[in-house]
Amino acid sequence: MSERASNRAIDTANVIFVIITMLLCLAPFIHIIAISLSANRPIMSGEVSFYPIELTFEAYSKVFSDMSMIRSLGFTVLLTVLTTVLSMVMTIAVAYPLSKKELKGRKIFMLIIVITMFFTGGMIPEYILIRDFHLLDKMWALVLPGLISPFYMIILISFFNNIPKSLEEAADIDGSSHIGTLFRIILPLSLPVMATLSLFYAVGRWNGFQDALMYITNPELYPLQLKLYQMIQQNQVHDLMQMEGMTAATVLPESLKAASVVFSTLPILIVYPWLQRYFISGVMVGAVKG
Amino acid sequence: MERNRFAKMARLGVAVTLISTVFVTACSSNNASPNAEGGNAATKPSSLKVELFDRGNTPAGYTITNSYLTNLVKERFGKPSNIDVQFVPVPRSEEIQKLNVLMASGTEVPDIVFTYDSGTFNRYAEQGGLTELTELIDEYGPNLKKFLGEDTLAYGSYNGEQFAVPGRRLVLGKYASYVRQDWLDKLGLPAPQNTEQLYETLKAFKEKDPGSTGGKVIPFGMTIASAQYESLLWSFIEPMTQEQRYTLTQQLGSNDFPALLPGFKNALQYMNKLYNEGLISKDFGLDKDKKQLWEDVQSGRVGFYSEDAGELYFTQNNTYKNLQTNVAGAVMTPLDAFANSEGKFAKPTYAPNGLYVMIPKSSKHAVEAIKYLDWMASGTNLFDIQFGVEGENFTLVDGVPIVKPDAAQAAIDKIYNFGDFAVIVNGKFAGDDKKNTDAYIAQTPAEYQADMRKSVEISNTDPITPVRFDHPIAAEAKYGNGLADKFQEFIVKATMVKTEQFESTYAAMMKDYMASGGQAILDERTAAYKEMSSK
Amino acid sequence: MRMNMYLRRNWHLYILLVLPLAYFFLFKYGPMYGVQIAFKDFNFFQGISGSKWIGFDAFKEVFQNQDFFDALRNTILLNFLDLLVSFPAPLILAIMIYELKTSWFKKMAQTVLYIPHFISWVIIGGIVLQVFGTQSGFINNVLSGFGIGEIPFLTDKKYWLITYLTVGVWQSAGWGTILYLAALTGINKELFEAAEVDGANRFKRILHISLPGLKTTIATLLIINLGNMISIGFDRPFIIGNVAVRDYSDVLSTFVYRIGMESGQITLATAVGLFQALVGLVFLLGANYASKKLADESIL
Repeated sequence: MSERASNRAIDTANVIFVIITMLLCLAPFIHIIAISLSANRPIMSGEVSFYPIELTFEAYSKVFSDMSMIRSLGFTVLLTVLTTVLSMVMTIAVAYPLSKKELKGRKIFMLIIVITMFFTGGMIPEYILIRDFHLLDKMWALVLPGLISPFYMIILISFFNNIPKSLEEAADIDGSSHIGTLFRIILPLSLPVMATLSLFYAVGRWNGFQDALMYITNPELYPLQLKLYQMIQQNQVHDLMQMEGMTAATVLPESLKAASVVFSTLPILIVYPWLQRYFISGVMVGAVKG
Repeated sequence: MERNRFAKMARLGVAVTLISTVFVTACSSNNASPNAEGGNAATKPSSLKVELFDRGNTPAGYTITNSYLTNLVKERFGKPSNIDVQFVPVPRSEEIQKLNVLMASGTEVPDIVFTYDSGTFNRYAEQGGLTELTELIDEYGPNLKKFLGEDTLAYGSYNGEQFAVPGRRLVLGKYASYVRQDWLDKLGLPAPQNTEQLYETLKAFKEKDPGSTGGKVIPFGMTIASAQYESLLWSFIEPMTQEQRYTLTQQLGSNDFPALLPGFKNALQYMNKLYNEGLISKDFGLDKDKKQLWEDVQSGRVGFYSEDAGELYFTQNNTYKNLQTNVAGAVMTPLDAFANSEGKFAKPTYAPNGLYVMIPKSSKHAVEAIKYLDWMASGTNLFDIQFGVEGENFTLVDGVPIVKPDAAQAAIDKIYNFGDFAVIVNGKFAGDDKKNTDAYIAQTPAEYQADMRKSVEISNTDPITPVRFDHPIAAEAKYGNGLADKFQEFIVKATMVKTEQFESTYAAMMKDYMASGGQAILDERTAAYKEMSSK
Repeated sequence: MRMNMYLRRNWHLYILLVLPLAYFFLFKYGPMYGVQIAFKDFNFFQGISGSKWIGFDAFKEVFQNQDFFDALRNTILLNFLDLLVSFPAPLILAIMIYELKTSWFKKMAQTVLYIPHFISWVIIGGIVLQVFGTQSGFINNVLSGFGIGEIPFLTDKKYWLITYLTVGVWQSAGWGTILYLAALTGINKELFEAAEVDGANRFKRILHISLPGLKTTIATLLIINLGNMISIGFDRPFIIGNVAVRDYSDVLSTFVYRIGMESGQITLATAVGLFQALVGLVFLLGANYASKKLADESIL
């Protein structure tokens, strides 16, 4: 077989494999969409698989007519953007100095930070801390406690370290200060990893709700995922409903839960391709030459 | 160009961080002031913070803390008593974690909190975190006391001190069983009365497949939720002396577990036989929330199952309705299929208490809290919270409130979480026992009410009531949750194992169960019984 | 004098560190007095300082509990299997995506592969049942169509491990590619072009250019994974696990949940957490040291 033919065979096999993997990843989401568009009876009887049965848009019209859902979406977007920006700035601020092997005290600083990856005070002292800072029921309670992830910091440091030292040295000779080098050399060369970490922070905040469970009681400050979690958890506490004598209480239909899942997942899936251009095309070469 | 813009953006970012940090600090230092300003009114209203479960089912137009019912409480209790009532939402699924944190914080905890978990109540009482209520109830809660009655109130006492107001449970029956009557008729079989007859029935269902399911028949629908297996288990339990009942029963959480009772092994052996002959749902050990079971029932695959009495008639799952839509001519009949060796249809029932309503010791509004509970127990307040507005939500028929089947969505939304407000009662209170039962049955669609009534009767036949010591068993609080899990594992493994391995599996699981706290509970209960009977 | 020079040259760097370090001290070290709960008979109402000291009693109790050792063993077992299976999966997938020629397909593939990461575990749990169930599961339905008997994917211990790993790979592999792809874009394109001119084939190129370019990222992730060897997320084992396979599915996080959250034994839960933290830190430092010696890669 010629080189070219074997290359094409590999390409085809590769494409087929990726397509199969894609289908596997897509299937559950399609299932959820099918449920969100089906009537209650076929859902409860387990008839719905990949296409809606007894098609209805009722669930979506409910989700979109619920102002609290829309408001929650707006709040979550704001929260996510704010958290991501602050987290990135702080993570860069800590990662850059610590990427300098010659920095005095670097090991100590690293250890101080790495210890927090393992040791935590626990739920109760953390709650009391937030209370003492008067952050309960404030948006900042959802922003500040998770501001820097040591894990992402370590990743950023390792990417900074991968940048050829010669570039920095060249800047040094030009008389550039550290801050100047950071902005002119390091950051432009690190766009892919920064886009990646921004995505990690954003998705972490978007999907997170455990902190809101503890720190937020004002329904206006419920992140979308908290609302979603409570809806979905209804199933889990269903066995208790009987015990609670709540048999006739309002139970959310499965289709509404599914529609809410779609409603809360789509925004971040839509944002993604926009970020994508930063880590699809090689930024590095162009930036260095330019 | 590109580079420059980026540098600007990044600098802006740093600036934003700095500014916002300053802003946060400024914010927090200012925070104390707003509270001081509000007190200019003639008589300063006192305040009351009440916990409220948030189940994430708040309808559009309301929020959990601003709904028809919160306003009703503020209007009818808050205003006349000059008390500013605030509701503190607590996520239902994280209830205990959140309550622990609130309790530990001391300052943020509401004045009225509650839980279903007896372990949590006992822990708070033991650690001295709750207000003793005897005098407060006597002074401020006459209606409350009358409503609950001494029997129920006794469930809120810990070592002789009244640390909780227990909710009053109205529906005590738990379970009934259901069989596909059309299948029985087709095969000319009688309704099974005991486990031997049931075995024959299930076998016939399996072999003859009267529902023509194409081999997919599930003769006995099973899950790992207690409703599906408790009736069966308890029918195997042999008659006991009072001493055996007290010492061998294991109370884990709020339920009595039969692991050590005579006959338990036979029950498991029976389940093992059914499973190995393919008569029980194969994946029952995975079905925690009954979703699979309901699906199987609705699609007409299940011939027989036990369930919370009447579950299939209620409209939220619409189990029966969907079954009849999916399978023309399907008939599900309630029955009592588990007679024990004495010919009794013995099955567990609930203790007559519901929520433990507690007032933390740190609360400065214990009086207001009792007043609130007393208000709820007086006049038509409870009724109005639970049933809503006459003509909109219900109509009165012979004094019994009948929920309107065609009530407008807006009306239903008004009282969407009535059960979470009515903490002093579990179930809908219509006036007296008979009315309560009638109102309970009337919640199901008219065409199913006869079957519903039968189900309720079955659930109350030959009840086994929980046994109680006058003080809590410490080992049960400590090992309860772990053991309840072990118990499930016990049932699943003993049922699913090959018949020839049953003995060894049973022995191994029993050993594990005893070592994981079963023995400690047994010892403590034996000692407690000695002490009790020597008094 | 030399110190002075050093500071004049580097003071910027220390200024940058001020805010982040303040953050760690306030929000991470601030509540850390909570670890003393492990040595106290914690009373919710006396608070941490008011509770009685009990020394190492809680640790003794934990180390006498057979369930704890089962959970510890399972945690290590599941993490180890994940390291073998779930750790390389995103790496391979990333290389495959990177090798795709059509740009729009490349982008679409990425977006689609991330979807599982966004579906909450409760929902995944329901889907797992529908796919892997013995009686009405999708796979078993297909198998029975071919006349193959039922396979207990969820209720037999060995099969369950396979299911657990499969679901883990499915849920995380796509998401895990992101970092590798970011690293791959950082590799100088000219290297690839030069290799092509030299007539190196596909696999040689991957072996000699792509993989070395990912070395740092792989080492970083591996070290951190080793540091997390005895801690494990709660959702996956809890949701996919069930009573029939508890011998394997009960792990430290579910164990802690049971004693800490459900039974309110905060002291025991804290003791387990402290044990995990200590072991984790030792593992991380050890892995870092080994990596530095063997591959000249370190993260600290």
